[in-house]
Amino acid sequence: MISSDVIRGYNDTLILYMLLDGESYGYEISKNIRKLSDEKYIMKETTLYSAFTRLEKNGYIDSFFLDETFGKRRTYYRITPLGLAYYREKCAEWKVTQEVVNKFIKEL
Amino acid sequence: MDTIAAYLNNMFAALPRTEQTFNLKQDLLANMEEKYHELKKEGKSENEAVGIVISEFGNIDELIDELDLAKGGEDTLLPLLAPEDTWSYTVAKKRAGFMVAVGVMLCMIGPALLMVLVTLAEFGFLRGVLSEDAAGMIGVSILLVLIAFAVGLFIYSSSIMDKYKYLQKGFNLPYFLRTELEQRSRAFTPTYTLSLTLGICLCVVSPVLVIVWAAVSDDTTAYGAAIMLLLIALAVFLFIYYGTIKESFTFLLKEGQYTELSPEKKEEKRIMGSIASIVWPLATCIFLISGFVFQRWDINWVVFPVTGILLGIFGSVYNLVKAR
Repeated sequence: MISSDVIRGYNDTLILYMLLDGESYGYEISKNIRKLSDEKYIMKETTLYSAFTRLEKNGYIDSFFLDETFGKRRTYYRITPLGLAYYREKCAEWKVTQEVVNKFIKEL
Repeated sequence: MDTIAAYLNNMFAALPRTEQTFNLKQDLLANMEEKYHELKKEGKSENEAVGIVISEFGNIDELIDELDLAKGGEDTLLPLLAPEDTWSYTVAKKRAGFMVAVGVMLCMIGPALLMVLVTLAEFGFLRGVLSEDAAGMIGVSILLVLIAFAVGLFIYSSSIMDKYKYLQKGFNLPYFLRTELEQRSRAFTPTYTLSLTLGICLCVVSPVLVIVWAAVSDDTTAYGAAIMLLLIALAVFLFIYYGTIKESFTFLLKEGQYTELSPEKKEEKRIMGSIASIVWPLATCIFLISGFVFQRWDINWVVFPVTGILLGIFGSVYNLVKAR
């Protein structure tokens, strides 16, 4: 399990990645993140939703309602072109970060 | 399952109940329930499933930081309306509206009574009971008493509303109250439309009586005028009473004009208010002097409608000039 402090700056990136292939909703996204990380990272509910709020405010994602069975309404999210640009930026940033941090990592 | 909903309710208890937080809570609950059902399907026990779901909820402060309510800072300081306050406000507003409406009606009934009394005396119907002068005196006394009573009503109604002055500074309406208010407001709309239509019909029809009366007998036009005033008084009552009820909904739901009063609008209200407070007593002076000194009770009531129309024109001109 990763501590949430370390990964904090990349929660938004993780979520945007999940939306690259199309719209999704809260639980599906958090389930897929957990699966993709081999159960090593579980995003907390509040982390997920504060990220949704922030991303939407910045125009990186849109939300819309879809009716599920039994008349339950569910909020779906999808990535915007602005969000895609931001995602690319974050990917480039991570590459540099990784390079830099790697220089200070050695097996002892 | 209920534990999860109860947990979430607790977490959101301290947050203002806006539409945003309401939707957020619904979404979170749906997610947590789905997670719970999956865990159960995987063979986890009830306690285990609930435990896992709650442990993976996180920290509510993280969420509050991102929500607009915390960002604005000001929004969280606004009082959150309780159901009792909301309903007592609508009741008080209704009562105050009723008093103002009755007061205004009394102010119009006064001149109507005066006209009838003077005309009756003039044509000798009151011979032996009242002289013409005495009829005038009594009419004016009644008029003044009615106005005094009306002023009392105005003051009392504004004192009722004093308690709710704090609402003018802004407030937050909880989501569940908003939906209920919207429902009540919708239910009230037909009544409001009916009262408005009825009032306008009364206003339109009222001069007809004067015209008809004048055609039948030129001497007693005053009766027609008195009835016209009464009809208009009734219409004004409808406008004010139902308008106030409507306003209480509009205000609470912050629809239309109550979103924010611009400084220009405030200035306009102030100027129009101070002008009206000079002009109306002046009109009353003219009315009383022309009556007592020049004995023109038959026609001098015209100053009131004329003053009203002139004020209306002044308001429009003021707005036009200001818009330039």
